[in-house]
Amino acid sequence: MPAVEVHQLAQCITCHAWSPDRTMVALCPNNAEVHIYKFTMDKWERVHVLFKHDQIISGIDWSLRSNKIVTASHDRNSYVWNHEGSEWVPTLVILRLNRAALCVQWSPKENKFAVGSGAKTVCICYYEPENNWWVSKLIRKRHDSSVTSVAWHPDNIFLATTSTDGKCRVFSTFIKGVDTKDSGTSSSRDLKFGEQIVQLDLSSSWSFGVKWSPSGNTLAYAGHNSTVYFVEDVRNSPSAHNVAYRNLPLRDLLFVSERMVIGVGFDCNPMVFTKDDTGLWSFAKFLEERKTAQSNSKYGSQFSEAFGKLYGQSRHGANDGVDSLRARGIAHENTITCIIPLQKEGDKIVRRFSSSGLDGKVVIWELDYNTDIPE
Amino acid sequence: MANNLRLYLTCIRNTLEAAMCLQNFPCQEVERHNKPEVELKTSTELLLNPVLICRNEAEKCLVETSINSIRVSVKVKQADELENILAKKFLRFLSMRAEAFQVLRRKPVQGYDISFLITNYHCEDMHKHRLVDFIVQFLEDIDKEISELRLSVNTRGRLVATEFLKQFI
Repeated sequence: MPAVEVHQLAQCITCHAWSPDRTMVALCPNNAEVHIYKFTMDKWERVHVLFKHDQIISGIDWSLRSNKIVTASHDRNSYVWNHEGSEWVPTLVILRLNRAALCVQWSPKENKFAVGSGAKTVCICYYEPENNWWVSKLIRKRHDSSVTSVAWHPDNIFLATTSTDGKCRVFSTFIKGVDTKDSGTSSSRDLKFGEQIVQLDLSSSWSFGVKWSPSGNTLAYAGHNSTVYFVEDVRNSPSAHNVAYRNLPLRDLLFVSERMVIGVGFDCNPMVFTKDDTGLWSFAKFLEERKTAQSNSKYGSQFSEAFGKLYGQSRHGANDGVDSLRARGIAHENTITCIIPLQKEGDKIVRRFSSSGLDGKVVIWELDYNTDIPE
Repeated sequence: MANNLRLYLTCIRNTLEAAMCLQNFPCQEVERHNKPEVELKTSTELLLNPVLICRNEAEKCLVETSINSIRVSVKVKQADELENILAKKFLRFLSMRAEAFQVLRRKPVQGYDISFLITNYHCEDMHKHRLVDFIVQFLEDIDKEISELRLSVNTRGRLVATEFLKQFI
């Protein structure tokens, strides 16, 4: 079984992030708070509650080196939280947004972060020491709809975005004074801020969960039409490869290695995609093998029972529903919205990762050392 | 059950399974709002193509999907005027108690008898397969319920008539 730990930490989790040493997890229990849990004495203990937002939090990211948490919320704001003493202290971010913030991610060097928003813009934020706040530069008029996810290229300059207009775009985010000329590759430093490198119009439906491969050569994103798009060699001559599969759409992706991707989504069971020696991507398997699904036809066909079922199932769900799902052997019982790598620094292959979903569970997965992971 | 009906319900079930992939999505047009996009219809890119499933002319089911909500509208079989009245009264009775059902819409979409509105919040609170089960079960039972009502109305009518005519014997 690849699922090694299952932790029920809330009723419903919108997103989660791990501390640099992987002992604490920050998660949003589907409201305006961030809860930080620490694993002590065989159980998860809530050590901090970060409360500053007033609407649901849509994105959390915990920086690995500087130990800062950034949160983005539907209330149009974003905060950077610093650990000072025993408290987490928020710093204001001047986002200049007039719609909800939907996703957030620290850049690899952690001097910038990107916020995707429902205002069809992307904010690139950086720290201004004289005022002690984070200011933002906006990429405007490029997206035709809400920005659903952002991903940083390892070179700290390129940013990939997906949007509900179905397109995936790559921008340069070179900011004078923040990025030095020697950062990034030779070609990327000549580009101005906000310049669009490439626009990929592959999906006919909304796109989600964009990710770069560890080397930054391959870009992957998921379409709501149950297709995953892999784009190789994005800078010079992009070549796309679409993988359509027969299950429900994916919400988020994770590159385990250069040639293996895990996708999570509405199917409640992570899916594995691999690239073979000829460079073709394909759907390999479900991470957790599905046993034969039980038929749900055991209840009678009385009208009253149908109504009773609806009353009974609200909130936790009636017993038999949960049982039948357990019997199927699936760690998650509802849509998985978020997948985060848990590798040690310097590891090339992500063996451990965690996922969270609408069922309020954080599941830690570990890939078998016996299974062959192509590098 | 007639094979025909089974196919119709299976088709609806599969459509709902595929369509009910909802997520929290804030409004793009109005600040700090979060509304079912299938009702607002302000951004066309957030709507998917509606699916119409027909068993025959009188019985059909329309599934409209958007990024954070799905609307299922049903037209139930009404063979004669009595069934028409029964269906209208019965479904009105249900619609007026829409809060108790959570997913029921207070007013049906024009041209249909009853509508369900399922948002991402329902999917967060409840199991998806149970929601789908509920709707399919509802469709399955509504026909049965109306024919039963019709039978009881007829029986009652006959009884009343018999009782009434007894005095003339």
